[in-house]
Amino acid sequence: MSSAAEARYRVQVPNSLPRAIKVIGLDSAGDQVIRQLNAAGWQHAAFFTAVSRHDDLRDLEGRSRSVADEVDAADLVVLIAGPGGHAHAAAAIGEACSRRRVMTTGFVVGVAAASEKELSKTLVQLRPWSLMVVIAHSDDYIADMMTALRA
Amino acid sequence: MLRKEQSDLLTQTGPGTPMGRMFRSYWIPALLADELPENDCPPVRVKLLSERLLAFRDTNGRYGLVDEFCAHRGVSLWFGRNEDCGLRCSYHGWKYDVTGQCVDVPSEPEESGFARKIKLRSYPLVERGGVLWTYMGPAEAQPPLPEWEFITVPPNHTFASKRFQETNWLQAMEGGIDSSHVSFLHRGDLNSDPLFKGARGNQYNLSDARPVFEVVESPGGLYIGARRNAEGGHYYWRITQWVMPSFTMIAPRGNHTVHGHFWIPIDDETCWAWSYDYHPLRELTRAERDAMRDGKGIHVKYVPGTFRPLANKDNDYLIDREAQKAGRTFSGVEGIAMQDASLQESMGPVVDRTKENLVSTDNGIIMARHRLVRAVKALADKGTVPPGFEAAHQKVRSAAVVLPPDVPFTEGAREALIVRPAVAPASV
Repeated sequence: MSSAAEARYRVQVPNSLPRAIKVIGLDSAGDQVIRQLNAAGWQHAAFFTAVSRHDDLRDLEGRSRSVADEVDAADLVVLIAGPGGHAHAAAAIGEACSRRRVMTTGFVVGVAAASEKELSKTLVQLRPWSLMVVIAHSDDYIADMMTALRA
Repeated sequence: MLRKEQSDLLTQTGPGTPMGRMFRSYWIPALLADELPENDCPPVRVKLLSERLLAFRDTNGRYGLVDEFCAHRGVSLWFGRNEDCGLRCSYHGWKYDVTGQCVDVPSEPEESGFARKIKLRSYPLVERGGVLWTYMGPAEAQPPLPEWEFITVPPNHTFASKRFQETNWLQAMEGGIDSSHVSFLHRGDLNSDPLFKGARGNQYNLSDARPVFEVVESPGGLYIGARRNAEGGHYYWRITQWVMPSFTMIAPRGNHTVHGHFWIPIDDETCWAWSYDYHPLRELTRAERDAMRDGKGIHVKYVPGTFRPLANKDNDYLIDREAQKAGRTFSGVEGIAMQDASLQESMGPVVDRTKENLVSTDNGIIMARHRLVRAVKALADKGTVPPGFEAAHQKVRSAAVVLPPDVPFTEGAREALIVRPAVAPASV
């Protein structure tokens, strides 16, 4: 039943509904990445910048958005930050995700030239709130991941 | 989800394909050395990367891997006679040496030199660590011999096996880096399999079925870290190595052996799942070796006389619904290797990745595809040597460690992730 010939008889109708992915830049490195990503045009992703230490977000037009509202409407929240420990907003957003049982992925970008100490500072901020942590040397990986997740 | 053209790019490895070219950049395992046990022994059919070949060992002990078919009328040389430093076709007596050079055409006068004009495609075949390795790329780009630790330790420290898997290589390999399935599919084996049980680290696994994953690019591929809570606010890490194109090494447990896999394409719908176990500092015990031969750990029992698993899709993998219901196995299939293979084969020979719904914990798979696509294109467009080629990329270890919560595992386990002669693997 698992031959190539049998594969032709698999049900050919869509097997999933679109998922809402909220991508949040936590610091200047993250902000730069989300602006590049946004330019690619995604159907099911929305991009925000975190306002440091406050329970608040900004969309890319600069309008204020509530963390609670955005997390409520999310299936996955992606947090993006660079090394150096400027991802303070991870806690407020992560806590909102935790309360609502929303999956989180933490990305550390721009690590190629960073020291382990700088990386460590960001990991301390991301780890408690990320159910998956990714450290990629090339920032174009995030776009591939979003495509893979049908963003 | 992966677009069809990208899936095709990675799953097609025949001659002239971009991924085939990438596989042809490396030394890959072709046969177990035991398959050619003595000089002038019977030849063995070998299909690799969609090419039908024949391996043989000549009178002087030299290994050859040549086109399976005689240049004369196209009959299989598997029926040939292995004698006097060459393989002689049983049809009209044409004879070839280990380089594929025809050395005798009995119907033609020897002085005519006709034999010298006939040469079969051949590839180097070299024994290293009980495995016969071949390189199928251009001669001018041949890399140094492989340096994986399991083939450089003394012979009595290592054990390798292979099994036939009825899927494309990528499907099998992706199973090897899909760390999140372990807590489900293999949960019954940690405390029962003789090659795993008794390690302190097992208790971390069993007390926390929802690990948090970290995926980090490594020079040769990826580190995939699975993090669980340990005592005193520390984290227990299990760090798997993936090295391009298809090598994995799984984190060890206690003083058990270190193990892992290679997935090598036979053609686009089947592959060899190679499995190895070794310990850098000690001999394998008789009990360990017996267990491996008996299909424990990551090895399998075979249909006698073949490398096909005894539990296979024609017998529904000997599924035991009572064992499944009682919780002795999660899927009802016995043994880690066949638990994996049964599910991977159920997907069909080449799964339709346009229909999959990946989730965040699949980032190891997503990033492996990302790195493979990048490397395949760089090789095709610019001739860039792919990662995994250098000896430094091969001299790596997996590790199981307990670290403080603020430490990147790449830093805390830095020494543990490379081969250190005379130092035991980092294990818990």
